[in-house]
Amino acid sequence: MLPAILASGLAMGSIYAMMGVVYNVMFSASRVMSFTTGQLGMLGGVLGAAFVGILGLPAIVGLVLTLACCALVGIVTEVVAVRPVLDKLDQHLYVLSTLALALMIQQFVAIEWSTEPQPFPQLIGFGGGGPTDEKFWLPVLACAVTVVGLELLFRHTLVGRAFLAISEDNYAARALGLPERRLRMASYALAGMIGGLAGFASGQLLLAFFANGPYLNFYGFVPVALGGLGNNRGAIISGLLLGLVQQAAHFTFGGVFTSVAVFAVFIVALLAAPQGLFGQPKQRRV
Amino acid sequence: MRITRRGFTLGAASLAASTTLARPALAQSEPIRVGWLAALTGPSSAPAIGFDRGVHYATDAINAAGGVNGRQIELVVRDTQGDPTKAVNAAQEMISRARVHAIWGPTNSGESLATTPIMARAGVPNVHPCFVDALIDTKRYPNAFRMAPSNTQIDNAVGDYGVKILGKKKFAVIGDTTGYGTTTVKSSSAAFEARDSEVVYAGTIEQTQPDVTSDMLRMKNAGAEAIAIWTVSPGLISRILNTRANLDWDVPVIGHPAMGSGEVGRLVDKPENWSNAYILGFRNTSYGDDGKLPDHVQAFVDKIKSEIDLDDTTLWWILDGVDSINIIADAVRETGTTDPKDIIGYWNAQADYPGLFASYTFSPDQHNGLSPEDLVMSEANSQKYGAYKLAPGYE
Repeated sequence: MLPAILASGLAMGSIYAMMGVVYNVMFSASRVMSFTTGQLGMLGGVLGAAFVGILGLPAIVGLVLTLACCALVGIVTEVVAVRPVLDKLDQHLYVLSTLALALMIQQFVAIEWSTEPQPFPQLIGFGGGGPTDEKFWLPVLACAVTVVGLELLFRHTLVGRAFLAISEDNYAARALGLPERRLRMASYALAGMIGGLAGFASGQLLLAFFANGPYLNFYGFVPVALGGLGNNRGAIISGLLLGLVQQAAHFTFGGVFTSVAVFAVFIVALLAAPQGLFGQPKQRRV
Repeated sequence: MRITRRGFTLGAASLAASTTLARPALAQSEPIRVGWLAALTGPSSAPAIGFDRGVHYATDAINAAGGVNGRQIELVVRDTQGDPTKAVNAAQEMISRARVHAIWGPTNSGESLATTPIMARAGVPNVHPCFVDALIDTKRYPNAFRMAPSNTQIDNAVGDYGVKILGKKKFAVIGDTTGYGTTTVKSSSAAFEARDSEVVYAGTIEQTQPDVTSDMLRMKNAGAEAIAIWTVSPGLISRILNTRANLDWDVPVIGHPAMGSGEVGRLVDKPENWSNAYILGFRNTSYGDDGKLPDHVQAFVDKIKSEIDLDDTTLWWILDGVDSINIIADAVRETGTTDPKDIIGYWNAQADYPGLFASYTFSPDQHNGLSPEDLVMSEANSQKYGAYKLAPGYE
């Protein structure tokens, strides 16, 4: 019983954590919370099922193509829904623009793909359905790859440091000659790839379903709030905790009470630490 | 020519008399207008698309044979998109502008709950295939007749199969978190408990919940010997079936006909995960051990299978669509009029009206057309031409 809950909790937690990272990567570059986050995860599953399941491409080729398509969607998000409203952040117009783009993506998939969930193919054939099945461990592996990849990128590459620079202070970064717009586009492409990877790795769990986007948007936001806005480590830890608490609540309470239990924990945590469990209180110059 | 007052009055009176006398003759030759409230698009369109094939087939067949007493049937079709507001507007338009003689539909209960009182006020003869019990009330809605099972009949059929045929005593009853799922979990649990069995787990699961291992473990730990499931979501159903296999817990799963849809077949990890699963079915649309449907239904299927696509829908929807047009046409044929009172009177007098989907029995106090014997369980993974194999345990 415990292995099943742990496997399921870690898998779901990894997906939520990666969605949290997608929010953070886009937010760091633009100060925008994009509603297209969940759709990137949804697209990862749908495109993966299309490339590997329907077209019969090898899994690795399907993954590369999925990541490329999701990166493109990330760039389109930046160009279409973020860039035009950056000057008007006070009005929070990005809420409307990113929500509109997210709905367009969802409806397009519903029309062109299906309104019913479609199967996602087995990628390795490992585990036989129990707690050791690949469908539980591929999301965990994808999450680990994301963590390591981001650490290497941000700490050991010049581009990664440039990302950090614009997330810290984009005016100063621009003054130093950093190409802010290109870096922002690259951030959105990176976010698209992370979202696509999350969707691809969790395809067997979530199925290739056009309505997964809002679900991932919703549960992906919780790690961001709990971990502190812009804090990737906080998002990863909070996402994993969320998954484990959720699965334990499914087992303990079941049904609609699961969401009540999960969000009761969420509210209590935010009351105790309003800046997020891993966030720093905002410094205010006086 | 001078027009005098007397001449004008006489002329007007003659014109009025001639139009009054001509009306019955006109009425006897005008088409029989049948309203068809169909959710042909939108998320709940699958049943209406199936019904629609039967409705058009029957209408074309009757018209090609010369119509009803020489009158053609004219379908007045309105796509309600599954939206109760659109269904209400369409029903009002059918009644007041198109002046239909009878209405078939709507085909889902949400729409029907909204339109039934409107049709009752207008006294329009109405037949529909919706399950919600409250839609049939001979005092409030004397014009409304059901040509499908009621929810109570469905709960009883599933309860009887689980307790009396499978011989199980402890049940887990689950549904999705929609209004349908939540209410059906309660009514289905009551049906099991009324049969001296125990509901050891009753709960709801969100349709989009990615993993149901925790919920299934609770059912297993509670000692459930069978699972009754009430949802139309193929994703949730397939997750239940896959998790049952992963837990190596081969208990029967019984319940909603959606468990037999091709979507579920595509989503189960292995074909064997779909076995030991039984859906609500109907006697006339179930294959016996010889692989045949009842003779009159088999003959109909053999005739239409080259004309109507049966593989992407459910046979009972098509048969019910055919029956709906036939029972309206027969009412006009036998009474000789399209007067609403005569049509309703004809339906109220039917005992074992020989339809394809079922033999319908109505009376002034009873407008549920099906009898409990019409409802059976079928093997979920046995679909062929939209019909299913009879579940084990029936004669």
